[in-house]
Amino acid sequence: MLKTTPFHGRTAPLCASHAWRRWAGYVVASSYELTHEREYHAIRSAAALFDISPLHKYRVRGRDAARLLDRVVTRDVARAALGQVLYTPWCDAAGKVLDDGTVARLDETSFRMTAAEPGLRWLQDNALGLAVAIEDVSESTAALALQGPASRAILQQLTDTDLADLKYFRITAARLREFWVTISRTGYTGDLGYEIWVEARHAEAVWDALATGGAPYGITPAGMLALDVARIEAGLMLIDVDYVPARKALLEAQTSSPFELDLAWTVNLAKEQFVGKRALVREAQRAPQWQFVGLEIDWDALERLYAEAGLAPQLPGVAWRTSTPAYADGKQVGYATSGCWSPLLKKYIALAHLRSPWAAPGTLLELEVTIEHRRRRAAARVVKKPFFNPERKRA
Amino acid sequence: MRTPYDAIIIGGGHNGLTCAAYLARAGRRVLVLERRECVGGAAVSEQVFPGFTFSVFSYVVSLLRPEIIRDLDLPRHGLHILPLESTLTPLPNGDYLAQWDDHDQNRHELARHSLRDAEAYDEFGRLMHQMSRAVKPLLGLIPPDPASLNPRDWFELARLGSHLRGLGATRFHALHKLLTMSSADYLDEWFETEALKATKSASGIIGTLAGPRSPGTAYVLLHHYMGEIDGVFRAWGFAKGGNGSVSGAIAGAARSFGAEIRTGAAVAHVLLDRGRAAGVVLEGGEEIRAKRVVSGADPRRTFLELVGADHLPAEFAQALERFRFRGASGKVNLALGELPSFTCLPGNGPHLRGAISISPSVDYLERAFDEAKYGEFSTRPYLDIVIPSAIDPGMAPPGKHVMSIFVQYAPYHLNGGWTDARREAFGDAVIDTLAQYAPNLKSAILHRQVITPADIERTVGLTEGSIFQGELTLQQMFWLRPVPGWAKYRTPIRRLYQCGAGTHPGGGVMGASGRNAALAMLEDGA
Amino acid sequence: MSAVVIGVGVNELVAAHYLARVGQRVLVLDHGSVTDETATGWIPPRVVRNLELERAGLVIQSHDPWVAAALPDGGRLELWHDMGRSVEAIRRLSPRDAEKWPEFCTRMAQLAGVLEALYTAPPPDPLTRAWRDFARLAAIGFGIRRHGRRGVEDLLRVLPMPVADLLDDWFECDALKGVLGAAGIMHARHGPRASGTAFRLLHEHVGNPAGVFRQPRSNVGRVLQGLPGVEIRRGAEIARITVREERVAGVVLADGNEIPALVVVSGLDPRRTLTELVDPGWLDPAFARTVRNIRCRGVVARVALTLEREPGFSTLVVAPSLDYLERAADDAKYGRISAAPYLEARSDRSRGGGGHCVDVHAQYAPYALAGGGWNDTCRAALGRAVVECLAQHAPAIAAATVEQSVHSPRDLEQVYGYPEGQAHHAELALDQAFWMRPVPDLAQYATPIRGLYLCGMATHPGAGVNGASGANAARAIARDLARRRNA
Repeated sequence: MLKTTPFHGRTAPLCASHAWRRWAGYVVASSYELTHEREYHAIRSAAALFDISPLHKYRVRGRDAARLLDRVVTRDVARAALGQVLYTPWCDAAGKVLDDGTVARLDETSFRMTAAEPGLRWLQDNALGLAVAIEDVSESTAALALQGPASRAILQQLTDTDLADLKYFRITAARLREFWVTISRTGYTGDLGYEIWVEARHAEAVWDALATGGAPYGITPAGMLALDVARIEAGLMLIDVDYVPARKALLEAQTSSPFELDLAWTVNLAKEQFVGKRALVREAQRAPQWQFVGLEIDWDALERLYAEAGLAPQLPGVAWRTSTPAYADGKQVGYATSGCWSPLLKKYIALAHLRSPWAAPGTLLELEVTIEHRRRRAAARVVKKPFFNPERKRA
Repeated sequence: MRTPYDAIIIGGGHNGLTCAAYLARAGRRVLVLERRECVGGAAVSEQVFPGFTFSVFSYVVSLLRPEIIRDLDLPRHGLHILPLESTLTPLPNGDYLAQWDDHDQNRHELARHSLRDAEAYDEFGRLMHQMSRAVKPLLGLIPPDPASLNPRDWFELARLGSHLRGLGATRFHALHKLLTMSSADYLDEWFETEALKATKSASGIIGTLAGPRSPGTAYVLLHHYMGEIDGVFRAWGFAKGGNGSVSGAIAGAARSFGAEIRTGAAVAHVLLDRGRAAGVVLEGGEEIRAKRVVSGADPRRTFLELVGADHLPAEFAQALERFRFRGASGKVNLALGELPSFTCLPGNGPHLRGAISISPSVDYLERAFDEAKYGEFSTRPYLDIVIPSAIDPGMAPPGKHVMSIFVQYAPYHLNGGWTDARREAFGDAVIDTLAQYAPNLKSAILHRQVITPADIERTVGLTEGSIFQGELTLQQMFWLRPVPGWAKYRTPIRRLYQCGAGTHPGGGVMGASGRNAALAMLEDGA
Repeated sequence: MSAVVIGVGVNELVAAHYLARVGQRVLVLDHGSVTDETATGWIPPRVVRNLELERAGLVIQSHDPWVAAALPDGGRLELWHDMGRSVEAIRRLSPRDAEKWPEFCTRMAQLAGVLEALYTAPPPDPLTRAWRDFARLAAIGFGIRRHGRRGVEDLLRVLPMPVADLLDDWFECDALKGVLGAAGIMHARHGPRASGTAFRLLHEHVGNPAGVFRQPRSNVGRVLQGLPGVEIRRGAEIARITVREERVAGVVLADGNEIPALVVVSGLDPRRTLTELVDPGWLDPAFARTVRNIRCRGVVARVALTLEREPGFSTLVVAPSLDYLERAADDAKYGRISAAPYLEARSDRSRGGGGHCVDVHAQYAPYALAGGGWNDTCRAALGRAVVECLAQHAPAIAAATVEQSVHSPRDLEQVYGYPEGQAHHAELALDQAFWMRPVPDLAQYATPIRGLYLCGMATHPGAGVNGASGANAARAIARDLARRRNA
């Protein structure tokens, strides 16, 4: 049977669409309302509340906790400040990305790691010879993401902790009404937002507090469809969609290094040791073969192609996830892995893997589109990610 | 007089029928001779008790080669493979371990026992999947002979070598380990849950007088992943109507290509003419001539009974003597008035539509083996159970059920020999074992049929009741099966061929031996 | 120091002397584990020649009869170096087997010859792309084919066989099959019905004359220790091996002293070397997992008896039948000491002040006992059982034993550094042999840490072949050093 999250008692009655999907073995709402549009706009204009409990969560504690995490991830954990959260990928020995997630330093010797894929075995295998305790707290920890311009105001009225002091990618313990939670200023929307981590037994009460407190601000429970659009706008990649984790790859060609995923900034080659270092040092000396970029599809070109078929442009209402070839000079130079119509930017955007010579911003390409059962190519341009990057995100 | 047949096939088992179908498809005039009144050999469905149909011997489909299904268009001749969804392992402490088709459901279930194993399982599955792909080409291959000086063998060996080298280090070494390790040791490297290791390793001991800790059993782990059904990797299946419908479909295909099939026609011996096979003589004395003869019977029966040691080179006869059979499996077929209810998961449910495996721990299986090693049947045996009527209601009268229990170990060489009393005692041990986990079993039984290796030998003619027509161990595999130098379906008697599971790749309702033999014959100009 | 060798075992010293001969300054660290002074095993002639061991006083003691098997009726089956004498001895038990003995010995000697060729060089790599390795593989192939079709058939058929099946194919006499089958399971966790045990019978046979299936003993360890050319530092307990930038930097001793080195060669088992002495953070976790998965389950206890007088045998084997051995192995599967163990006793006059010493190999005594660990009660019980069992065949034992000491696998681990008490460091089985020994990534003696090498019994060809691993490792190191100089 599939599992339900600790918030299911609240989310189930709200899910008018009955549109559920699976996420890591749990059922979560695709959208609560019949279309996800209002949920999306809540992210950008008010506040959206997501149930992100299916994330895998690990508690790493002990004298060597930082050393273990430093062995595993590519960023420098030892130098992370107390209360800092690091977004980071981690790799296998060949330097290929296994997963990406966050590492939060809760105190000197205690960390919480989030992951998209189960990773207990990998952590344990890396812990050989280290004084560290690893605990899978995925089921005992419930998590919510409160995202949007109003998120700070909603949260602030429920806690005495001053959230103005909580900087981007920091975490703090806080009392939310009468419940102890940790609040991190993180998210997957590229907007101002927070993630709230709470013991599963208090999950519903915390939901209720947020729902009640947030009502005057237009808080809206939102599902995965709205999130998917927001994360593409924010240029954030999604495992299994935008990259194949090395452990699931059937071919070497399916794997990606952090450099190929535009994550060079997360790779700290100065660290003495971490899994994949040798391969990544070698790769850093060459230029990466592939790059992960943003694409903007030229609207006029699209309109022309549709017009040729006698139609006005018709774009899917939800983000798509089918691999789509990208061409330059008539030959394929890459593929887009997800894309959507950005309701805010009014642009048709996509995330794409391109061979390096064609990956510079401004490069003109063509992206395959299917119009009336025919495959056509629409002009597109490589642009810098993120597509949408409001000041409030970091302010 | 009519022109003689191009080929006579001795034995209408699934391999003989497959061979016949391929020959007939190539336009040859073929005749299949089956001793029993029904075709299928060990792949038969019979109404043992009125209204209750059983796959009396073999009971699942897993390895039937997809190219055979396609080439012979078997679905058109009635083959319909229904999926077996799960494997349930009830445990003595009242808990259970289930393996489900659905990834998430399976993961949750394994995580209940070990989070580590739940993670390892995916990685293991992927490696096994890749390994199956690596091994698959070997099944359809006529094995080259490394001892030969024939350039063609060298060429084939070089090709095989380059295939193996092409696997890359990880898979090449994994293949080496799978071929040489015991399934328990191999699984120890991956998992910690006893019931998981035991249930998986059980597939490595089926049909062989070996325990999960016997080296060489790990390879069979692949079989679970090789079961391609309708092109889908990793699926075991159950043939609608029982395994007889597999044979029935192949027979139907053979007939549609023009093959003749005679049942009730037991071959007494192979007719030799100046040292060459020229036909067969039936038990009634009837003589049927053919240009070639191919035997689907096992090697010992074929050569020592149907041909006779006098006609064989001494070394060949000696090598045959060393070929080991050692049947180790029995079968109990039950007609049930109601479904069994398991203490761990009471009542009806999806778990009854899959396999049920009594294999709570590796030690349990190993102890069962220990008894058999010294010539006793296991008092607490390994059981692999399916309830075909839960998947295919037509197998039993409405509301009633049939249960097929594959049992190990029941050694052919039982101390004191198999008697009726010993057979019933063996049946009781099986029922007692299962009733521990499903208390309503005894009262639900309407009829029971107990089959020992001796019964298998007597009924279907498999020597020593060996369900694979000879143990599938490394020293009897590939180019060594059944005799080094004679593994290419040809024999020292010219124009006599073998197409049974006693040749490469052997056991399981696979059909590959029959197909390969037909291809070898056609190559020889049959 | 250019090279540090950890351990003073035969392989370590052979590696050290070979390295010294190619101009390395070598320091051998005696890390405290006791090493067996009388080594069991064949020494490749090339090692004897290269290191001029004979001149240095090498003495090989080969018992004749090479084995005396206790018969249930009290008699003994003695097998000799002289084929004719063995045939006579067997004839008393089975004329049929006596007839077959010479041919069996010839066939097995042919196969052992193939192994011998494989053992005196690093293992071939079937995945090699190098022309030289390829040529070597082909040469081995032709070498086998020289014996005709049957040579290839025998080799490929016999290697993966259970020794029980092999012997059943040839012989009918339980005692003969028992004593030969024992060679197939010596130090193995498995019983004689396990596949791959026929290979082990051949392994015991390599380097010996046709018809001799036990390895000789020699003073090679002592001889090597006396050989000039390398410095040996005693009592140097190793704390760790230091690594910088994925390259070995040296060795740190327990007293804090660091000895820098370009090359470190470890004779310790791979698990200890790579996951305890080296910071495992330097290893790919997936590789570290395979290292931890190396099977090394000890199943042998060593019982040393001191007698007042002659025991009445020079060797005595208690392995009356294959079933006997199999049942002994059955106990070990469930973590029990064999109720009726397989014993192999050798009397040794040279040791023990005045008294007679009998060394007994007692199998199976598993490292991990079900229901609690090894304690003095277990040890004493095993000692008693061994004496009783031997006394049935050599009555002198019971009366004359004045002292017994029992080394359980746990003790062997502590005293000799055998991982889990396994004398072979990595069980010798087909999945841990040749290019798989101990794991594929370590099969060529180099480790993922540049400059760190293995030369111990866990490497090809492993235990029972004295000095071959050391010589092979030294060759691999010398080649790497030359390559580095040229680069």
